Amino acid sequence: MTEQAPALILLIPFLTSILVAMIGIAYRGICWYLALISLAGSVCASFTTLIRVLDEGVIRYHMGGWAPPFGIEFRVDALNALVSIAVSVVAFITLVYSKERVETESPNKVSQYYTLFLLLITGLLGIVLTGDAFNLYVLLEVSALTSYALIAMGPKRATLAAFKYLIMGTIGASFYLLGVGYLYIKTGSLNMFDIQEQIVANDLQQSPTILVAFILITVGLWIKMAFFPLHAWLPNSYAFAPTTSSSIMGPLVTKVMIYVMVRMVLTVFGPVYTFEVLNWNEIVVWLSVIAILASSIGALAQTDLRKMLTFLIIAEVGYMVGGTWLANEAGMTGTIYHIISDAFMTLCVFLFAGIIFAKTNRRDINAVDGMFKKMPMTMIGFIVGAFSLIGIPPTAGFFSKWYLIQGGIESGNWEYVVALLISSLINAVLFFRIIEIAFFGRKPVEGHDHHHGDLHSKICEAPASQLISLWGTAAILLLIGLYNKDIAGIIQDFLLQFNLATGG
Amino acid sequence: MKIIGFITVIITALLLLQAERDFPNWGDPESPASSYRLSQHYITETYHETVVPNMVTAVLADYRGYDTLFETVVIFTAGIAIIGILRVFGGNQAEHKEPQLTKQKPDLILQTTCRLLLPIIQLFALYVVAHGHHSPGGGFQGGVIFGASFILLALCHDLKYAQKWVPERRILNLAGFGVLLYAGFGVAALMFGENFLDYGILTHLLPGSIEEARSHSMLGVEIGVGFTVTAIMFSIYSLLSSNGKMKEGI
Repeated sequence: MTEQAPALILLIPFLTSILVAMIGIAYRGICWYLALISLAGSVCASFTTLIRVLDEGVIRYHMGGWAPPFGIEFRVDALNALVSIAVSVVAFITLVYSKERVETESPNKVSQYYTLFLLLITGLLGIVLTGDAFNLYVLLEVSALTSYALIAMGPKRATLAAFKYLIMGTIGASFYLLGVGYLYIKTGSLNMFDIQEQIVANDLQQSPTILVAFILITVGLWIKMAFFPLHAWLPNSYAFAPTTSSSIMGPLVTKVMIYVMVRMVLTVFGPVYTFEVLNWNEIVVWLSVIAILASSIGALAQTDLRKMLTFLIIAEVGYMVGGTWLANEAGMTGTIYHIISDAFMTLCVFLFAGIIFAKTNRRDINAVDGMFKKMPMTMIGFIVGAFSLIGIPPTAGFFSKWYLIQGGIESGNWEYVVALLISSLINAVLFFRIIEIAFFGRKPVEGHDHHHGDLHSKICEAPASQLISLWGTAAILLLIGLYNKDIAGIIQDFLLQFNLATGG
Repeated sequence: MKIIGFITVIITALLLLQAERDFPNWGDPESPASSYRLSQHYITETYHETVVPNMVTAVLADYRGYDTLFETVVIFTAGIAIIGILRVFGGNQAEHKEPQLTKQKPDLILQTTCRLLLPIIQLFALYVVAHGHHSPGGGFQGGVIFGASFILLALCHDLKYAQKWVPERRILNLAGFGVLLYAGFGVAALMFGENFLDYGILTHLLPGSIEEARSHSMLGVEIGVGFTVTAIMFSIYSLLSSNGKMKEGI
């Protein structure tokens, strides 16, 4: 069965989603269990695939038995395998969290919700695994459609935000498609690796068509990943969506798009073209500096807890775009490492925001008032996530930022290093403010807050499923941090083939 | 804002014109897309490998069958998404005061024409699905035509009447069945130990040679697509026309 593992990663949740749609409408209770089993299978398959990749190198899986470029292939290397593990594990954890939440937030539509949830995961896993530029677009559509729906199933404001997202997302996806079309005009192929071979073989690096294709694809992906000036769709749609939807999309959708960008830069256009022929490194790094600073300051201005977190996502996107264009090995290692660690730390804080919203039914930051007394376990889980976003060792966030900063120093992009440090300081301010409110409580407002406080000081923890998922995420964050040498090793081995600049 | 939008459009247009300079000539047989081994292979080898005379069908349903599977899933997703967003359960009619439509008497001309047309439309839909191997057509087109026949029924009578044939739950089951039928061919190949969607191995199940097994499987997956598209077309219509209540509608 291990032969088929790369396909099974996405086939299991895909087939289950159809079953959930058909059976779940009659037997609502069964949806969650079916989804849980399927995602557990997906997690197992992705670990199997990583082990195989580490043992025997790149796995090429030909869909329909047709050799590329005639058919579609899955070409799984260490990069895909790592990201697919991150996607399936995040999905699994969010599913565990979702049990009570989906039944309260969309009571009549449980089966539709889980169908869309599983299809979103299918789409994202398909994007990560495929080696075909057009196939990537098809799965981009699957994941985009499902995310619009998952957001729009929330309250009224979410529907409006989802509409904005729909317009922006469609523009982004059509830019990508147009770019792929231009590549096809010049190379006659859709397979990513074949396109790269054709660009080199036919000496197309000076072709204006390839240049425009590169710009279209990059800008399309930047819209999709909410890179700073193109981010306007993100904050509202993730802040007003049902809590489960924002817990799954906040960590995954933007991160998978960053994976696609890295894949385009490394595999389709090649680092030589991106970094040496075009040499826009300075401009893009400066863009990312502006993105990081602007969105960190934007986060400071928010009073809504989830909205603040969405601005942090945008800042993290800035880290990774900048890290890619540092054009050296440390920067690229940091970017790929950060895709994985950021997925889990965003998940951790979004799960926390969801738990607080479920408990208090309030969106603002002050909702955490006195939570250390009421929900000590939840707060401990949150602190790990917060420390990771700030970048305190031994959490995952410290090590990925370490590589990014190292990359910045090696390439001499000091502005990037400074922006990263400032953003980390702002994260510290943001999270210690929350921790302070939660620990000491707000200053009591004259009189009436007093007896109020006593009423609430009893321990009333979140339901077990939500607590387990939060703690699971926190544990994974620590594990990613502790095993940083191994993970970075896998990434660096993968990057060897691209001959990126290394610091002396 | 309008000015920013305008500048963006101008920049994009200049960019696209810039790319134009380097394009191969219109219909140039030497252009990369026509001369590369990919299209050469499709043109010369398709019939030998799949015994399907219509190249487009073979590329769509076999060489790139995995893409088409997920195109079908996009349709399926759209249907589920619209149910998820629009469907209203239970009776909170008090909130949405619906404009009272003046109930008209059933129109004899409409209903008779509908009765005459319907079998022809449906027969033609089946023809389009089945004849995809030889002429333009296939599951998507046939499914749309078949779905349109139910929409016509709902328009000429009312939604309740059309739902006698396609009630809500059956729509979902049909749509799911279509996708499962498509994926089923892939999973069957997986069970025989070949890669997903490798129809050749299904020669153990289907009559004829390996090439003919590919051809037959393509017909099978087209039928699956047809089921899904039919069901989702009608589902989208019925939800939109009845404000998600699935009652009479317009």
